[in-house]
Amino acid sequence: MSVHIAGMGWVTPLGSGIDEVWNRLLNGESASAEFLSSPLGREYPVFRVPPSATAKAPAHPRLRRSSAISRFAVVAGLEALANANLKLDPEIAKRTALIFAVSNGGVIYTKRFYHEIVESGAQAASPLLFPETVFNAPASHLAAILGITGASYTLVGDGAVGTLALKMAEDLMASHTLDYCLVVGAEEADWLLCDAYRKWRLLRSAPPVQPFQQPPRGMILSEGAGAILLGRSGPVRIEKISAGTNFRKQREAREAVEKVFLELCQTLPDLIAASANGTFIDEAEHDAIRKHSPDARVYAVKEALGESVGASSLWQTIFAAQALISQRLPAFAGPPPLRSAVVSTCGLNQQVAGLRLRI
Amino acid sequence: MPDFFSSSHGPNGARVAVVAAGVVSPLGFGLAETLRSLHESKDCVSPVTTFVVDRCRCQTAGQVPDALLAEANQYQRRPERLHRVAQMMILALKEAMAQAGAFQPELTVMGTTSGGMTFGEQYYRGLEAKQPSSRPAPTLIANYTPQKPLMDAQQAFGIGAPCQIIANACASGTNAIGHAFNCVRSGRYQRVLTGGYDAISELVFVGFDSLQASTQERCRPFDSDRSGMVLGEGAAVLALENLEAAKRRGATILAEIIGYGISTDNFHLTQPDPSGSGPLQAMEGALKSAAILPGEIDYINAHGTATPFNDAAEGKAIARLFDGVPVSSTKGMMGHSLGAAGAIEAIISLLALQHQLLPPNINFRHGDEGVDLNIVANAAQTGSVRTVLSNSFGFGGTNASIILRSLAA
Repeated sequence: MSVHIAGMGWVTPLGSGIDEVWNRLLNGESASAEFLSSPLGREYPVFRVPPSATAKAPAHPRLRRSSAISRFAVVAGLEALANANLKLDPEIAKRTALIFAVSNGGVIYTKRFYHEIVESGAQAASPLLFPETVFNAPASHLAAILGITGASYTLVGDGAVGTLALKMAEDLMASHTLDYCLVVGAEEADWLLCDAYRKWRLLRSAPPVQPFQQPPRGMILSEGAGAILLGRSGPVRIEKISAGTNFRKQREAREAVEKVFLELCQTLPDLIAASANGTFIDEAEHDAIRKHSPDARVYAVKEALGESVGASSLWQTIFAAQALISQRLPAFAGPPPLRSAVVSTCGLNQQVAGLRLRI
Repeated sequence: MPDFFSSSHGPNGARVAVVAAGVVSPLGFGLAETLRSLHESKDCVSPVTTFVVDRCRCQTAGQVPDALLAEANQYQRRPERLHRVAQMMILALKEAMAQAGAFQPELTVMGTTSGGMTFGEQYYRGLEAKQPSSRPAPTLIANYTPQKPLMDAQQAFGIGAPCQIIANACASGTNAIGHAFNCVRSGRYQRVLTGGYDAISELVFVGFDSLQASTQERCRPFDSDRSGMVLGEGAAVLALENLEAAKRRGATILAEIIGYGISTDNFHLTQPDPSGSGPLQAMEGALKSAAILPGEIDYINAHGTATPFNDAAEGKAIARLFDGVPVSSTKGMMGHSLGAAGAIEAIISLLALQHQLLPPNINFRHGDEGVDLNIVANAAQTGSVRTVLSNSFGFGGTNASIILRSLAA
């Protein structure tokens, strides 16, 4: 069975649209940080999606009260379908599955909903907000907008969840009842998340993000969505997906990442799209790359786009696929031929996975 | 009548055995205690004590006693980091692994809706200086995430399988089992661990209360005077294995899973299509996947939340597809444990197969007019049970059905 990337779409702090964001990355641009104020008096840098990036969101009733995650996901998902020249008529929709990857979920509505309970008691809780706090609400909106009536799954996890979703999609496509699987990862930024990651000692107080710098100084959260349409044909083949493994403690991440590299680097890749984000992940990846693929070009897209957790590994995969398609790389003038790429995804909370692409 | 395969046409792919199971729920700790509660038609719903509910319409739930969960602490060097639902998962996995023999899963697929949500609540209350937690903030943050209870449980038993955590609302557990079944059936995996977990939390409890989906009185699935659900909690684990591989290593086969159907009903974020089209499509899909006819189903463990909308839609779909098959919802006894519900109900279905039992639908008086369902009313019954269908439906319009069968059938 062969699974290909048939179409891609993304909504990022550098805008939306494959070409627009790709060109900005090629130009060496990084997202600008906006500072979010917490009611506790702290300010946190985040890379936010500019309003213009979601201007193409359809005027659908399902998006009227939906979270930012849902809007990001819809714009990215529709772009992936358009990128593949695929129109989901009811017959094709029946043969298309949806997998939604998310980590923190609808944190803004969840915080509002719970805040009302804490401040005023259960009787103040809003029945309008609660449904949007459920992890699969964005997937439900997207399925309704696209007309998908068959398999729809929401997968939760850490920064590796997007790759795990692609693995799940590959497993689903073992069934000949499916022609396509749309994998979408999305996340929204909020001060509450920043506060939590700061207390977890993973957050940086100001830009820039400096992947692979020692000592690691921390990451900057971002938001947006990535969407990848998997099909039976397409410009980039997914050669192998490692469902990966888990690590118990941060200092054990190195062993877990190495296990994934061992699986994916049996033939040496030309490019590695790393998940390094300025945290303990960097050292684990650095060691694995040096050991298993020392000659590959390495690029950490989180330097430019930040850490969007649920969307991150799909952004990395889109980055790698786009590099293979265009034979170009940011910061590398005239790179050697790029035939294959490994996407390494190490999450912040114990999950590691990866995949290998080939053109 | 939909176009089904003849039952003489076997489905393609490997046969999938359930080789071990473990459960913690309000019905009890372990398969034996759960079976006893089913036989006794035990009502395990009680007043909520872990947070303040005096401003809620509903004030009861099916709860797992904390005192008995402490046994799980021996599996974690820093037990204060374990969330209650991680403790439930550890004990359910312990029971399953004790039966499983040489079972090392290549993949784990679990369902949940909120993981360690109460740690998130404690963290937020601490920020608001309402109720500072005894646990430090990093502990709460690292352990509230949905995947963490499963990580804790796997680590307790030296399992390193990659984890796919499905959060398809109340269908999560059945979706997880169904996807795990497809993974083994496709031949891509030999052994997959599956199930679901969820613990009661204030946010979710108040959420359902705000929607007026939960009831002030008893939970009465399929009763015409039903007024809503009560929440529950728990964890359940099933070890799935390629049947031939399981036989070769001499594993005990508890049952087979033979079919799975999934549908997405785009009617509304929180309400099913009143026609029952979503549940109908999921059940038809499961029958087609199993290559059996509706008449071969001996018992249906219904989703049956006791909300007016769910039971009406599900009842219509069951009545349209089946003719007099015994049906019960076991949620009246234990509440609705959301992401764990489908997994716990799969285990109840397993017990029904093993013990020729029709689990009871308690608190039932009379059914909806015009909907012809054969409800197993108020007391467990014995019957010839070889093939069971179990339903789970959830917010987001997600619908899932699985079919289990005795190996001898």
